[in-house]
This record gives sequence, C-alpha cells and structure tokens, in this order.
Amino acid sequence: MNGQKLLAALAGIALALSIGALVLLIEGRSPLDVYAALVALSIGDVDKAAITIKNAVPLILTGLSASLAFASGPINLGQPGQFLMGALAVTLVGITVDLPAPLMIPLLMIAAAAGGALWAGAAAVLRHVFNMSEFIVTLMLNSIADLFTAWLITIGGPLAEAGALSPRSPAITSSGRLGEIGVFNLSILVMALVAVAIWYVFHRTRPGYEWRIAGQNALFARLGGCPVDRNFFIVMLLSGALAGLAGGLLVMSGPYRFIRGIGANYAWDGVMIAVVANSALGATVLYGLFFAALQTGALGMELLTAVPSEFIQVLQAVIVLVSVASRGYLSVLLDRLTLRRLSRPSPNRT
Amino acid sequence: MRIVIGLLNGMLAGATPVLLAALGGAFTFYAGVFNIAMEGMLLAGAFCAALGSFFSGSWVIGVLCAIAGALSLSVLFILFAIVLKTDEFVTGIALNLFAAGATTYLLRQLFGVRGAFTDPAIQPMPRLEIPLLAQIPLAGEVLSGQNVMVYGAALAVLVCAWLIFRTPFGLRLRAAGYNAASLESSGVRPARVRIAALLICGVLCGLGGAFLSLGYVRLFAEGMSAGRGWIALAAVILVNGNPWGVALITLVFGLADGLGLLAQGLNVPAQFTGMAPYLATLIALFVYARRKSRARSGSSIQA
Amino acid sequence: MGNNPTHLPSFLPRVPEFITLHQITKTFPPNVVALDGVSVSFEAGEIHAVVGENGAGKSTLMKVLYGLYRPDRGQILLGNQSVRFHSANDAIAAGVGMVHQEILLIPEYTVWQNVVLGAEPRTRWGTLDVARARGAVQAKIDAFGFNIDPDAPVGELSVAARQKVEILKLLYRDVSVLILDEPTAVLTPLEVPQLFAELRRLRAAGKTILFISHHLDEVLELSDRITVLRRGKKVDTVPAASTSKSELARMMVGRELMFTARRAAQPKGEIILRVEGVYYRDKQGVSRLRDVSLTVRAGEIVGIAGVEGNGQYELVNVLVGLEHAEAGSIFINGHDLTHASILERRRHIAFVAQDRSKLAASVSASVAENAIMTHHRLNEMFARRRWRLDMRQAGAFTEQMRKQFTVAMSRPDQPFRALSGGNQQKVILGRELLLERPFLLLDQPTRGLDVGSTEYVREQIAQQRDAGRAILLISSDLEELFSLTDRIAVMYRGAIVADVPTAQTDLEQVGAWMLQGRNQRTAQSA
Repeated sequence: MNGQKLLAALAGIALALSIGALVLLIEGRSPLDVYAALVALSIGDVDKAAITIKNAVPLILTGLSASLAFASGPINLGQPGQFLMGALAVTLVGITVDLPAPLMIPLLMIAAAAGGALWAGAAAVLRHVFNMSEFIVTLMLNSIADLFTAWLITIGGPLAEAGALSPRSPAITSSGRLGEIGVFNLSILVMALVAVAIWYVFHRTRPGYEWRIAGQNALFARLGGCPVDRNFFIVMLLSGALAGLAGGLLVMSGPYRFIRGIGANYAWDGVMIAVVANSALGATVLYGLFFAALQTGALGMELLTAVPSEFIQVLQAVIVLVSVASRGYLSVLLDRLTLRRLSRPSPNRT
Repeated sequence: MRIVIGLLNGMLAGATPVLLAALGGAFTFYAGVFNIAMEGMLLAGAFCAALGSFFSGSWVIGVLCAIAGALSLSVLFILFAIVLKTDEFVTGIALNLFAAGATTYLLRQLFGVRGAFTDPAIQPMPRLEIPLLAQIPLAGEVLSGQNVMVYGAALAVLVCAWLIFRTPFGLRLRAAGYNAASLESSGVRPARVRIAALLICGVLCGLGGAFLSLGYVRLFAEGMSAGRGWIALAAVILVNGNPWGVALITLVFGLADGLGLLAQGLNVPAQFTGMAPYLATLIALFVYARRKSRARSGSSIQA
Repeated sequence: MGNNPTHLPSFLPRVPEFITLHQITKTFPPNVVALDGVSVSFEAGEIHAVVGENGAGKSTLMKVLYGLYRPDRGQILLGNQSVRFHSANDAIAAGVGMVHQEILLIPEYTVWQNVVLGAEPRTRWGTLDVARARGAVQAKIDAFGFNIDPDAPVGELSVAARQKVEILKLLYRDVSVLILDEPTAVLTPLEVPQLFAELRRLRAAGKTILFISHHLDEVLELSDRITVLRRGKKVDTVPAASTSKSELARMMVGRELMFTARRAAQPKGEIILRVEGVYYRDKQGVSRLRDVSLTVRAGEIVGIAGVEGNGQYELVNVLVGLEHAEAGSIFINGHDLTHASILERRRHIAFVAQDRSKLAASVSASVAENAIMTHHRLNEMFARRRWRLDMRQAGAFTEQMRKQFTVAMSRPDQPFRALSGGNQQKVILGRELLLERPFLLLDQPTRGLDVGSTEYVREQIAQQRDAGRAILLISSDLEELFSLTDRIAVMYRGAIVADVPTAQTDLEQVGAWMLQGRNQRTAQSA
C-alpha cells in the first residue's frame, strides 16, 4: 500500500465507523461504549487476540482465494462452495484414514486443498471446454455444494453421525486435529505460511508475473507470449485450493467434524475482503484480521451492550461500500486537483 | 392430471420472483449496466414486504414497502456506480452484502429473532379468482386462483416489452447499451437512462421480493432470496435481455422448480430437488454456449 | 475550471461572422496543451476547412465548439452573444452539430431509428410515433437528395451511407452549422465527389460547414476559407482561392521535413518472412485476407500501405497468432509458423502493436513489468531460472533500457500510465528491439506521437534495418512509408494489389492503388 491507498483505506474505515456510530446514536446507544467493547473483546488481551487471529484464518484464506483470482483474471465467486468441499474432503479423509499426526495433518490439508480445487476446477473446465462464464457457474456450484453437503450430513444421511440429534458428521480422527501452541492455534501457522507462499508466487515468480499482467490486460499478456488459458486454469485451481483449505482448517481446528452451516459465516466474506482490499494480497491479510476482530468482538459486544451482534454485518457492508467508493472518489478528486493545477495559466508559458 | 396441474402451479410459483427480478435485470442489461445487485434487491424487498405487512396489516402496504426497500438499494447503486463511478461489479457485490447484513440486523433489532420471522399478523398476498377463466375445465385450475403477483408478473412482461420496444424511452434504453457514445451524441445522457433503468429494476425486484415473503408464505428468513437474483442474472444474459425470452427461460427454471417439488413426492431428498433451479441454470448456460459456438463455426463454413 | 467570461474580446464582430471562437485554450492532463489561445471566426453559409498535422488540435477545437470539451479559457460567440455549451445537447439546441470521425451510430437500429434517437416524435399515448418519425426522416432525405432507405438497418450500410445518416441526424435537428471531422478519411475515392456535391447543396441551403481534413487537394477543392493549425496554435485563416497546396503544407508543417532515411540500394539478405497465399475470414464469415503473399528479406524494410480496414489489421493478427489463417502458410526465418502458438512465434517476431494501451502494454503495471514482457520467457537473463522472477534484475534491465532509449522516467517501479505517450512508445519499442528477433513487425509505430518522438522512432527503425533485421512496417502515413521503406506493398480489400520497390513509385501512384486497387495494378504491373 502506498500513502494514497492507505489514506483512502483509513478514511473509508473512519467514515464507515462514523456511519455506524450514527446508527447507534439514533437507536439511543453509546457508540463509544459499543466500539470500546468491540476493541476490548477482540484484541483486549492475548487470549482474545489469539481467538481473533484464529477466526481470521478462514477469512484470510477465502479472501486470498478471491483476491488471487480477481487480480489474475478469473472471476471466481465460488469460495463458499469450494470452502464446503474442502471441509467435506477433510471430513471424509479424517473419518476413514488414521495415520500418525505428522502424516495425517499434511494429508488432511492436501485433501482440503484438493476438495476446493476440484470444485473450482469443475467451473474452470466448463469455462475452458464449453466457454461457460465462470462467474455464474461458480455461483451455481455454491448452491449445489451447499445442498449436497447438507444432504450428506442430514439426519439419516450417508455421512451423518449415528444417533446425532443435529445434522453433523462423525468426528475426524484425533491425530488430524490442530491443537494450540501456547494460546495460538496451529491453523494460524498454516495460514501464515500459505499467505507468504502465495504472496511470493504472485509477486516474485514468473507464473505470478504472468497472472498479474493477465489480470490487468489479458490481450497484452497473450501477445507477450504468456499461456493465458493455461494460467487461467491454474489460478482457478489454486484459488479453489485456498478456499478449500480454509474449510479444511476450520474443521481441523474447531468442531473436528462437518456440521450444518459450517460455511455460512464465511459465505461471502472472502469476496468481501478481496473487494475492500482491491485484490491486493497484503491488504487482504490486513482486512481479514480487521474483519475477524469485528466478528470476534461482536459476540462479546452483544453481551456487554445489548447491541445485536448482527450490527457487525451492517458495519462490514458499510465499510465495503464506503471504502470502495472513497477509493474511487479519492482518485477522481486527485485527478481533478492535478487537472486544475495544470490548467492554471503558468507565467512561463505563453 | 393432478400431477400436471401441481407441476404447472409449482412452475408459476417458482418462476414469478425470478421473472420479476430478471425483467428488472433486462432493463439494466439493455442500458449497459453490469448489475449484479438483483440478489440483494430481492432480499431487501422480501424483508420490507414482511415488515410493512406486519405493521400495517395490509399486503398492499407490504408491497409498497418492498418496492421502497429495493429502490433504496437502487439509489445506493446509482450513488456509487454512476455518481461516484465505483466499479459496477464491486458496487453490486457490496450492495448484496449490505442487503444481507442489514436484513439480518433489522430482523434481530425489530423483531428480536434470528433466522426467520413469521407472525399471523403478516398479511399475505391474496389469490385472484378470475370468474370466466376459472370455469374452464382443468386449465381453469392453473389460469385462475393464482397469487395476485403471478398475474402481476405476467402483466409486467407485457409492460416491459412495451416500454422497451415501443416507446422513445425504450429506444434510448437500448441505445445506451448498444452504443452509449452514440446516445450521448444524440443529446441524451446515458447516465440518466441508466439511472431510470436501475430504478425500474428496483421496483421490479421489490415486487419479486414481496412475492417471496408474502406470496405462498408469510415469513421472512435470512438469505431467503437463495440465489434467485443470480439465476435471474443468468436468465437475462442467456436471452440478451429480451423480456419475452426472459419470461420463457424463467418459466423453464420454474418448471425445474416444479419438477423438484414433484420429485420430493417420490422420496427424492429435498436437498437434491432443491438443486433443480441451479442445475437448470447450468444446463441452460451449457446449451447457450454450445449454440453460440456452433453458430460461429457454421457461419464460417457456409459464408 | 477557470473561465473568465467577464473579459470580453477587444473586437466585436462587425462582419456577419456567425460563430467566433475567441482565445480558446484547452489542456489535457498531465501536460498536453492541445489548444493554445486559438481564435477563429466562421461565417454563415461558408464551407470552412480546418487543417493541420496529427495532433495540431483540429479535432479538439471542433469538440470545444460542439460542447464535448470545455475550454480552460476562452469564449464561444454566436453572433454577438457569448455562449457556453455544457454538452452536445446545448450545441445542437444552438444549431451546431458534429459528425465524428469514428461514426457513432447504432448498427442494430434502422436509419430512421438512429436519426430520431434522442428527439423522437411521440403519439398521444407517449409511444414512439413510428409513422411520423419515418416521414420526417424521409422528408429530409428527399429535401437534400440523399439516396438512402430509412428502414435499412445501419449495420448493413456502407461507410459512406452511414456518414449520410450522421448528417441526416443533424439535419433532422435543424442545425445550421455542421462540423465534419475528416469525413473523407473513411470514403472510397468514388464516394468523395458525391459527398462534396451533397455538402455544396447544404451550403446552398444556407448551412455553414466546418470540416477537418489533412488532404490538401480536397480542402482546396471544396472550401471557401481555410484555417491552419499547428501544435495547438492558429497559423492563419486564408481564402481557398488565394492559396496553394505548397503554401498550406508549409504552414502546416512549419519547417522543411528533417528526416530522410533513404539510402542507396544495398545487397539484400536472405528471406526472413515468407507469407504464401494466406486467406482469412473473420468470425462473421467475412473474407478479410485473400491470397496474401509477401516476403521480407534481412536488412530490408517493407511497407504496407492501404486505407484503413483493407486487411492490414487482420494481416497483423494472423502473423502474430491472434487469429489463424484459413489457408496458406507463414514462414519466418525458415520455421513454419502457420499453426504455431503465440509464444512460438514470438521466438522469431518482435512486435510493436498499434494500440498501446490495449495490445502493447498494461497501463496499470509498472514500467519494469511492461519492459520485461516476453523477455521473461525468451531473454536468457530471466529465462535462466525456472520459477523465480528477479524483480531487481527487471529493474536493472529497465534502467538499461532507459539509458539506451532515453526514456524520461523516474523509477522502474513507476506506473506505466504516468509516462507520456512518447516515452511509453519508447519503452514498448525498446522492449521489442532488445528481444533481438530476426523479424520486426511494426504496426503504426508513430501514431499519436509528437514530432520529436516520431523522428526518434523512425531513426531506431532505420538502425534496425542496418543491423540486418527484416522489417514489415504498416503505416497509414505515406510520407513515413516513403521515407523509410525499400519496398511498398499496397493492400486493398484484403489483397495485396501492388508490391513495388519504393524508388520506382511515387505518392500519387500508391495513393491511386490504395483507393482503386486491382484495376490500376493490371495496368501497371511489372
């Protein structure tokens, strides 16, 4: 982020928080109390911060999935479905295979990535072979994945836990579970490594360079000799793998099983974060942490201030709208200022 | 026979909200706006309809509230995408998130519930018995006695087709999408046409949303638009916005819905029958892509 | 924006000057002064030509008058009244209309639909009054003797007919001033006299016609008065009757032409590019290339001349691999590349595309990212590593390019869009030349560049020829072709109708081939 972008981002967040404060004031609540509670309950101490960062894992990974895709060209809106397929793959492997943890954990992560990549790959194939827009296909596959997984774990369904009272699968083997180091969950480490690796590939390797340029101007990349079609495919797979990994890590670090509605909270968050971050990978991580803090703080906030935690959903959407618009408006404003400066008659020009 | 009538009724019920949203999308499509906010507009419409009907006890007020709710998203779209020139795709995504967040929050805030709100005080939209049609054997059971919004949607098709193809506004609307520069040079600001298209889209999505919460049920549930706005978008793209085509294709989607309901009666799990409209959309996209590629290769051979 | 309407011009129109542009200045960011204090007057009922080189400010001036651009300073006077047009609508309401160079019609609509768009007659119920609309359009067609069917879809009309539709659109709106931006550029030679006859008829009906051109013969033939612009300033306004082609040319260019790269015929190298019998149809099935055969030898520049839209674009696409030939073959440096991938072709082709921002660069990427395109796969410096792309090395490479091609830029990670057009072109040219491929394909390499950058680019092209590259130069600038090439091939309707040594032909002859194609060729062929 350079100065101007940082300024726009901060201005957007500040404006959105002010709008949120206004809403709270209208409802007769104290914005200061609410925001103070949000901060205290998300990053107030190390334990809470650890939970916030753990909650940021699926947000950041689905955000990276969307950012990577958008910045490289494919409009992959299938994070919700790919997330579910990743979670499903981990559950399936975790139930049927039992290996020692050093083997089991990597195996499950590969399964998660493969599950997501498979679902994204289906859209990529349809696009590649039949020229069907990946944008709508991924959306339709979201609903299909949602219904399919719901059927699997529905009471009496093929993957349902016997005797369970709510729709859920049996638990995965204990060697496949991610524990804590100190207060920090291991999934955080995995996410951090993945984020760094993705950043490196995107910004420091030849394929990453080709993806970036194709995302900006595909025709130029094609004429420059980049295999644009193949790269499209690879990016879709990678993007799906990231979303799948998000789902997988969530199962491995939390409920240890597939439960109904597991992806619901992250349905559109990845796309949302990519949109505010303007598909920049670094900004995606930062916004992922920020939104995780909001979401984590929200539950406690409700207890302390009686403001419903759903308030955060509104606040998030307002942040997206305002920061995206302020980004656009700021550049319009700066252009206009430049124009004004240049059109002013200068003494040394006749 | 019972089955066929049930299927047709299911088809109409399934098609109506998608049809209304897709007609709205047709306007923005012709105007050259990449509008993906129909999903959010439907949701806002559904929520406001339940809200209005609950507090007023009148489904008419409910429908008016639905229009107002969806229109407010249109206004936001206009503000961001047209006035502030934010990217249309990004604006659409943000508005869909906003609609989801705001309805969830207000559901909690106003009704103190999570997930879904239903109350006997919510007055649903009535069915309309049409005297003469009702007497036709068999067909009468489909043609008459449908929800008032089903007839509203059918009427909307006629009105939209008339607006788009028979009026000066329609001429300008299509011009805005075909070639905005040409329209501009004819002395009409494309931005104004786009604003009008977005407002019309808001009204139609409001009606579609009202049907969701006041049509056959009297409840609002979180995310109850359930991808219908996206399906509407796919329908619009498939027929290049033509309102007659939109009507036809959404009826096909509705038929898939109806078949799904039918299959449920045959012990097919509800989750699979629920996939019907999404699968139908994928199949339609597939057929469309094939036809397009075949048309292309065909023309280059014969010409 | 800084207007000062309080300051009235020292002279007020005494003669029946109909429109006066006074001290118009227009700047485009970042730093292009398109118009610099231009004052011109146009009289009622005259045909007034505005001439000048590319970038002289002709179009900008007319767009200011038409309300598409707002001037930074200056005034527009209609009669004695100062007016300000905020949009084309204002201008049309005041009776000023413009036909753009790129024709702005809707191909999906019929002639009458295009004409009435924006000013539609309505029935009592607010619907489109089709009968009245058609009638009004037909009336204008009859009144001005246009030969056109109001119900024809515009997409099926010839370019000349579309131009008439544009003019009809303005006549339907009863404008008294018609601005035509290079109306003859898109016409075939047979259509030009017809247009001129129609314009004279309009003048006889009392309309004022302003037309932009750089074809001096046409200007002298048609117009009453001529205004010459050069680099955003007015040189003079002269009556057509009292000037000459050479005087106008001198006023336009302002100097003798500096660059001449012609040289004595040299021993030719081996054949590098060999195109044999290439046919190509576009997606609509329209035949775009017919039996195109062409060779370019090492150390030779072959030019492609032709009116735009005669297959040059498609030839370039087929050569670089964006489109595939239907029949025929393409050999470069002995390799059969007819069916090769773009990357495979790029091993042999350095390519400077016509449209900088669409084809030749990513304006949102950095200068360095633009500089290393294709090098990232073909240049040993980058291709040595399998995965890693060393951005520091890319920076060093860009720095080297900056020095070698004197690019004015601050840092390699600067955004490409921050560079001026000339410097962008230098980066693109530098990138392609440093690829050091045997065949160099140049599509309008100097289009839109200022005089200095143009000369620089031409010098680089000549150097490449001397270094033994085979060069195919596509240009709509005949002067450029004559100053650079060894041979000129003329394309007409997708075919090469002439292919002659530059020294054995002249401007007039090539111009005739461009316009009339094959007929001339049979008479001429050697």
